[in-house]
Amino acid sequence: MNTVILGIESSCDDTSAAIIRDGEVLSNCVANQEAHRLYGGVVPEVASRAHQKNIIPVVDLAIKKAGIDKRQVDAIAFTRGPGLIGSLIVGVSFAKAYALSLGIPLIEVNHMEAHVLAHFAEPPRPAFPFLCLTVSGGHTQIVLVRGHLDMEVIGQTLDDAAGEAFDKTGKLLGLDYPAGPIIDRLAQKGRPVFDFPEPQIPGLDFSFSGLKTAILYFLQKQKQDDPDFIRNYMADICASVQSRIVSILINKISLAAEETGIREIAIAGGVSANSELRSALEKTGAEKGWNTYIPKFEYCTDNAAMIAITGYYKYLKGTFTSQEVEPVARWKVGG
Amino acid sequence: MKEIVIHSPEELPDAVRILLHRAARARVMAFYGEIGAGKTAFIQALCRHLGVKEEVSSPTFSIVNEYEYISPGDSLAHPVYHMDLYRLKDIEEALQIGIEEYLYSGEYCFIEWPELVEALLPEDSARIKLEIIGDSSRKILIL
Repeated sequence: MNTVILGIESSCDDTSAAIIRDGEVLSNCVANQEAHRLYGGVVPEVASRAHQKNIIPVVDLAIKKAGIDKRQVDAIAFTRGPGLIGSLIVGVSFAKAYALSLGIPLIEVNHMEAHVLAHFAEPPRPAFPFLCLTVSGGHTQIVLVRGHLDMEVIGQTLDDAAGEAFDKTGKLLGLDYPAGPIIDRLAQKGRPVFDFPEPQIPGLDFSFSGLKTAILYFLQKQKQDDPDFIRNYMADICASVQSRIVSILINKISLAAEETGIREIAIAGGVSANSELRSALEKTGAEKGWNTYIPKFEYCTDNAAMIAITGYYKYLKGTFTSQEVEPVARWKVGG
Repeated sequence: MKEIVIHSPEELPDAVRILLHRAARARVMAFYGEIGAGKTAFIQALCRHLGVKEEVSSPTFSIVNEYEYISPGDSLAHPVYHMDLYRLKDIEEALQIGIEEYLYSGEYCFIEWPELVEALLPEDSARIKLEIIGDSSRKILIL
């Protein structure tokens, strides 16, 4: 069939472009040092101006790496939302202009649905229906996935996201942002000897705000007896906090599996790069007889391959978007 | 300056009512306070009071969350901007995300970690400081 889709992602910090052919990823580029080595300049962070600088080099790089000509692209898929309007607008405008100039269709993609469909970038691919725990700096959701384009959020955070629980703990411990990977590394040298309470939230929803406050009080109290408590017990504190965050996530996804009877269980989003979460999911899955799916790191964080893949399934269904499309800051999964 | 003490999160709606009464004209509200002081929880209560139906969660990663409510003034749907500037490094980054468009939109703008954009806040902004005084009690200062 040879259907080639160009995917564009610019919803938050990273500008990314990817090319897929018949669902197979040919290139998946994030504007980073590599793109800038080729085109000069520095890598700015949070900024729509940065997206403007990045988008042409990164699309060019994705096309070159895929070894195709831009005239072979059959459709262009882009993140329409949710995200920061100033950032989204760059990707949306670029996609519209590109589609218009090449005379190819446009396909709008929901960023959170795309995180789930990142599982279709490579085998093994989950079978329908499956549950996907999407965990990132900004989101914590359990999504019931009935088909490529048929999803429903059955649980979500009521306050902070799981990734934020890592980052705010890092702030309390004096670690750099983002703290998730640092805590993951430090935790490997410690033991989970401090017990933080598990929030009692009914159903499949999450809460991480109480945990943050519990950690704050715990540290304040310990520092009264030992002003160097954080330094002396850094690895154990990290291990304890991480172990609690992971257990909250695993307990909820287990409950969701029980309630729905579904045993195909996937994780997605930046926090699925956490080593303890990955091993805990595999271990729990082995005990409970689940098939578990953990994407490669490059498909966990924000990337355009997942946008292109989602675009591909929409292309097969003939779901296209008009040139009048505008970015949306808010957009529900399945909405 | 007005000072309100609440003893549990259940009393947040009362504090919200007092704040909206005292700062009736303010559309931009800046919330100061350390981690765990309850900035997100206060803004959740504010949004509930305004009639926001969807989930109000922390925008630390997204920087700006946008919600919707029906304004009693014109019976139309208006956006509410919930911002968190925690991970921005300097005022330049705030300008680059287009913060002025939000601040001067005339719509409600609730800001966590606003220190960075102090110089950009409209003149009639409300400033609210949250202080931890016990495990579940907080002092709320309307500055």
